[in-house]
Amino acid sequence: MARLSGLQKDVLSLYRQCLRAVKLKPNDTQSHFRDFARSEFHKHRDVGKKDFGTIEYLLRRGRNQLESYSDSGIRDIRR
Amino acid sequence: MASIMRPGVLRQACTKPAASQRMLSTFTSSARNRPLGQQLRPAFQRASIPQSTRIAAFHATQRNQLLPALPQKVVGTTNDPTPVPDPDYAHGSYHWSFERIISAGLVPLTIAPFAAGSLNPVTDSILCALLVVHSHIGFESSIIDYFPKSRVPLVRASLMWALRISTVAVGLALYSFETNDVGVTEAVLRLWHA
Amino acid sequence: MACTRTLARLATRRTVVRPAVFSRGFASVTDTHARDPLSKVGEKIVPDAERKPIPESKTSTVQEPDPSKDAKTKTFHIYRWNPDEPSSKPQMQTYTLDLNKTGPMMLDALIRIKNEVDPTLTFRRSCREGICGSCAMNIDGVNTLACLCRIPTDTAKESRIYPLPHMYVVKDLVPDMTLFYKQYRSVKPYLQRSTAAPDGREFRQSKEDRKKLDGLYECILCACCSTSCPSYWWNQEEYLGPAVLLQSYRWIADSRDEKKAERQDALNNSMSLYRCHTILNCSRTCPKGLNPALAIAEIKKSMAFT
Repeated sequence: MARLSGLQKDVLSLYRQCLRAVKLKPNDTQSHFRDFARSEFHKHRDVGKKDFGTIEYLLRRGRNQLESYSDSGIRDIRR
Repeated sequence: MASIMRPGVLRQACTKPAASQRMLSTFTSSARNRPLGQQLRPAFQRASIPQSTRIAAFHATQRNQLLPALPQKVVGTTNDPTPVPDPDYAHGSYHWSFERIISAGLVPLTIAPFAAGSLNPVTDSILCALLVVHSHIGFESSIIDYFPKSRVPLVRASLMWALRISTVAVGLALYSFETNDVGVTEAVLRLWHA
Repeated sequence: MACTRTLARLATRRTVVRPAVFSRGFASVTDTHARDPLSKVGEKIVPDAERKPIPESKTSTVQEPDPSKDAKTKTFHIYRWNPDEPSSKPQMQTYTLDLNKTGPMMLDALIRIKNEVDPTLTFRRSCREGICGSCAMNIDGVNTLACLCRIPTDTAKESRIYPLPHMYVVKDLVPDMTLFYKQYRSVKPYLQRSTAAPDGREFRQSKEDRKKLDGLYECILCACCSTSCPSYWWNQEEYLGPAVLLQSYRWIADSRDEKKAERQDALNNSMSLYRCHTILNCSRTCPKGLNPALAIAEIKKSMAFT
């Protein structure tokens, strides 16, 4: 596999953090959270590789979302 | 300094020899009452460049952001305070007091030899030493400002070492100037009267 | 890592964004554009080509809804960026308003635009009288509160409104203040005491001690001063910025606080406080007329020679 750039590593680490945060949710809703996290990443699949500003913004938003959704008060997520 | 940082001006002059020849011809043929800036500008440029790109305000260089903003990094959660660094008096308050003493001390030392009209090697050497330290502190703080350790650790370290080496070199040079030659104050005096 | 990214950016810009030799400007003061307000010039030399907003000449103009005959039409160029299309570039949107139907302040104009012309325009506002500090933005090149900034009645001049400089933009004129508030939290902006009051009632203060807090307690944390400070632009992560330092001094100067030494120690390193080089942009821009630079100088003085 090609060597990843710093930004790519950041994105992957955010994705991993999301999956880890899913594990802390109640068992029966974990799949909802996982689907939500995956769909959030999938939505922006086609962002250009060199589009640093956009990726940085999405990272920023993703981190904010992760922080607010990992609150233990949030037990379920539906679309 | 500004001209060093504008290689573009040079490049333009090199790649457009026709333009620079044209410049002279415009000057001879154009109306004399036009401002100098417009006279110096080649005529075809004046005609072909849209007005909006002509605004210049002396920023003729292409601007590159050398350290673009990184993605935001939030340490801890949004509601945590930013980490407070450990107290470091040597780089904090002591450094500031020292800096102020040096700066304030330079004022009388600069005036004294000329006001008194006497050339004392002792005040001269103190002046030299303080000047070296003063400029070292100044450059050091610019390096700290513009080359953050977290972004460019290698550049920062190498610049700091370059600064230290040059400070020592300047110190040695001034020392030999003081001991073997006439000394700073005398040199300034001679330059003044030259 | 950051280095490679920078190189990549520079590389892409060299090849793609710079088409011709003529894209360069020429130094001349005879051009009419050179007499434009500084903010307008500033926009043209915004460094990062990727983040540079699309100029208003390339975006549509939104007109005053129902112009009357003797309308005093003023043009506003407003920075717009929609996070729902994250790969779109920011743009300058132009709005024209009839000043006769608009209130006197910039915030009135913004609210009128949002109500009557373009409901998608986003900005923070709350008290509309300079008490809450929500509507801080960069108006005609100066960081100020929109609610305290009069619309210049000269309709020939166009006003330009940007979000606070060097902040991450959430949407349109809304900056991300996370770091600013986290820094504010780090100076522990509350009374710290371990001893009870001598008479078991309130912590009292003499009139002289109270007077020391004048000019400090009025700060509303609008972040106008911090975002106008070049030191804060370059070293946002470590330097606290004028607003937070003013607040820190507000607690250092408080006679009832017992943790003065700890507060000073928290600032006693090369970055937190001493990146202030008395540029004084903070005092110049403060919409409340406070003097953060003086407060910083007082902290430095109180910590010197100790």
